Amino acid sequence: MANTTKEQPLLQVKHLTKEFPVESGVFGSRFAKHVSAVDDVSFNIYPRKTFGLVGESGCGKSTTGRCIMRLLRPTKGEVIFDGQDVAQLKKKELKAVRRNMQYIFQDPYASLNPRMTIGEIISEPMVIHNEGGSRAERIESVKKLLDVVGLNPEHINRYPHEFSGGQRQRIGIARAFALSPKLIICDEPVSALDVSIQAQVLNLLDGLQEAFGTAYLFIAHDLSVVQHISDEVAVMYLGNLMEYSDWRSLYAEPYHPYTQALLSAVPVPNPDIQKTRERIILAGDPPSPINPPKGCRFHTRCPIATEECKKERPPMKEVEAGHFCACWHAKPFPIEGSSVEL
Amino acid sequence: MKKKEQEKLQHHIEAHELKKKKIPKGKHLLEVKDLKMYFHTQDGIVKAVDGVSYTLDKDETLGVVGESGSGKSVTAMTIMGLIEMPPGQIEGGDVLYRGKSLLSMTEKEMQGIRGNNIAMIFQDPMTALNPVYTIGRQLGEGLRVHMGYSRKQALARAEELLGMVGIPNAEQRVKDYPHQFSGGMRQRAMIAMALACDPDILIADEPTTALDVTIQAQIIELMQEMQDKNHNAIIMITHDLGVVADIADKIMVMYAGRPVEFGTADEIFYNPIHPYTWGLMRSIPEQATEEKKPLTPISGNPPSLVNVPKGCSFSPRCPYATARCKEEEPPVYKTESGHYSRCFFSGDKAFVEKNSPRTTRDVATGTRKKERKPQAALDDTTARAVQALKESQAATEASNTKQTKRG
Ligand SMILES: Nc1ncnc2c1ncn2[C@@H]1O[C@H](COP(=O)(O)OP(=O)(O)OP(=O)(O)O)[C@@H](O)[C@H]1O
Ligand SMILES: Nc1ncnc2c1ncn2[C@@H]1O[C@H](COP(=O)(O)OP(=O)(O)OP(=O)(O)O)[C@@H](O)[C@H]1O
Ligand code: SF4
Ligand code: SF4
Ligand SMILES: [Mg+2]
Ligand SMILES: [Mg+2]
Repeated sequence: MANTTKEQPLLQVKHLTKEFPVESGVFGSRFAKHVSAVDDVSFNIYPRKTFGLVGESGCGKSTTGRCIMRLLRPTKGEVIFDGQDVAQLKKKELKAVRRNMQYIFQDPYASLNPRMTIGEIISEPMVIHNEGGSRAERIESVKKLLDVVGLNPEHINRYPHEFSGGQRQRIGIARAFALSPKLIICDEPVSALDVSIQAQVLNLLDGLQEAFGTAYLFIAHDLSVVQHISDEVAVMYLGNLMEYSDWRSLYAEPYHPYTQALLSAVPVPNPDIQKTRERIILAGDPPSPINPPKGCRFHTRCPIATEECKKERPPMKEVEAGHFCACWHAKPFPIEGSSVEL
Repeated sequence: MKKKEQEKLQHHIEAHELKKKKIPKGKHLLEVKDLKMYFHTQDGIVKAVDGVSYTLDKDETLGVVGESGSGKSVTAMTIMGLIEMPPGQIEGGDVLYRGKSLLSMTEKEMQGIRGNNIAMIFQDPMTALNPVYTIGRQLGEGLRVHMGYSRKQALARAEELLGMVGIPNAEQRVKDYPHQFSGGMRQRAMIAMALACDPDILIADEPTTALDVTIQAQIIELMQEMQDKNHNAIIMITHDLGVVADIADKIMVMYAGRPVEFGTADEIFYNPIHPYTWGLMRSIPEQATEEKKPLTPISGNPPSLVNVPKGCSFSPRCPYATARCKEEEPPVYKTESGHYSRCFFSGDKAFVEKNSPRTTRDVATGTRKKERKPQAALDDTTARAVQALKESQAATEASNTKQTKRG
């Protein structure tokens, strides 16, 4: 990946697999079933870079993020962060790793403890990891952080309910940056926000990355947002990675039929383009991850699926330098001016 | 039919007749005139809708955009007569449907109108669908109430409707409960339900916000196809300018309970004249494939509707605000074509030229007919839908004649 980068990856995800058991009674069967939430996913994240992960709801984006952070224990695979396999670490060893990995959640309402002041919320990571010096010094850093994320430092003793959604998301961001970690997993950080506020938060994340040199795993379902913020982008479908490359190549020349369909379905805020461009509209809904389709998991909705696709899972292949795609019939599909030309 | 039942149906029959009547000359299918709806709460008066005006005709689609809390949903709910009063109160204005005032109708009369003449699709289909009844029963409900269908007829028609919106295996799926449907299927069921009685106006409140792009595209396509066949008007409420670009003929941009700009889709996208509309456009990440341009967000936060800022409500966030903007309310500036805006400088060509985002029309345009090529993957569904629709229209017609005769 990213042949331009000679640097060592900060994070290597190798064959990550996560299955959740399903209570058999519910489905009327005596045999134990499982949800195949993430299946054999591999990618690298480089220092100071943003890796975007997109896909439909339920495709396994959050599960991937949670496994990397070891909020969930992977069923199989490795998560090598800073030279250590996070998947194998003991609880105690995890603490040290987590200092350098933080998580920003989608819901700015549910993710902040309503009984803590924002000062307490933001300094929590410093307290947990016993860093940041004395109490007074911590308060100073919290004030600085509040200023950096565009909130009034004098509001340090206020409670989350006194803030709007966009402001709460800034509080979550300030907390994530409290220890200037090496990696932040941003799980749909702007999905719950208005467009005007979304733009504020995206710019903030951009600026902080520049200032702190943090790498992001940026999870979202909005393709335009991911395009805007990412250096590299991966497309996920039903627990599998379908395609990944640097953002330009993925958006300008997607090889995978699913990526092509996704891109062609994004509404463009320009009526002329929107009304004249060709679109691939996929029929049906994504199948259940409890019993995912055999072979290529996309074959039930793929407009160009063949018999082969139903039998064997396509391997991830490098279709161009640094551009990877898992499809038996991968071909470039230029999307010019956001309109798909068939 | 018993007298009592006949009386009960009376309003529905009247509503049917109204739907078939010619719209009086000079009137519109829907006309919203300076509508104001306030909520009287403990914290004070929430001016949720504070002067909304527009007209809508058959085959037209109005897109309503704006921030969260700007009054988009309350406007729609007021038209539908679904706002609880109190705490809500109409403070002024009117809503005319085919020339008749909806606001002066009784609740009984509105029951005849809702679902039959004006139908609504909600953002979250789960809250609108009753979890304890089967999809089939809920789909048939409107037909039984409005058209006097029998249980059996209603179920048969429910099957047809589900097929029409592209749900396979309809004869089985009518027996399902809402939780057995995926999000996309539920939204399609909602559309089927809304279209069951062939309404004049379909109000869709963020119908695709909770859905993924691929499912969103299916739903929008479906709504457009249905409009091509039924010639109904659509009010599409959304915060996604992309969705609006797809579907709207006219666009209303709302801010703090008011339309700050209103115009045709072309006017709003290619010649916007209000600073809030500009801000909205600059906030959207561009789908660049060469180089990324920085976003220019609107600074600050949306205002409280209890304490709407003095003067222009956008002034605390507007980069062009002057001292006057903070004191005086800007008048409505209106062009000949009906494009209007609430800003002191909207009529100042040099100001607009200098500050509006550069909007390029990449594609040469002349006529903007809605010519959609049928999509390969959708062909089957489309064919099925067209067939089902033809049959259903015939059935509706037949039942209408029956109704009228009986009534
Ligand atoms: N704790 C759990 N137990 C059982 N199944 C789970 C659990 N967590 C997630 N899943 C299932 O795993 C799949 C992937 O879920 P995940 O939350 O990772 O998706 P996602 O891509 O983040 O979706 P969204 O965009 O909706 O957040 C889903 O089918 C989900 O229902
Ligand atoms: N029953 C009510 N009592 C008091 N205030 C209300 C009530 N219903 C709505 N409001 C207020 O009216 C305003 C307009 O709300 P509305 O739901 O129309 O916003 P919206 O533009 O649809 O926003 P969103 O995009 O979030 O759906 C909001 O400030 C809301 O808090
Ligand atoms: S492998 Fe086959 S089914 Fe899968 S995406 Fe490629 S063509 Fe479609
Ligand atoms: S009236 Fe003044 S504050 Fe309001 S939008 Fe126009 S320039 Fe901005
Ligand atoms: Mg998620
Ligand atoms: Mg709303």
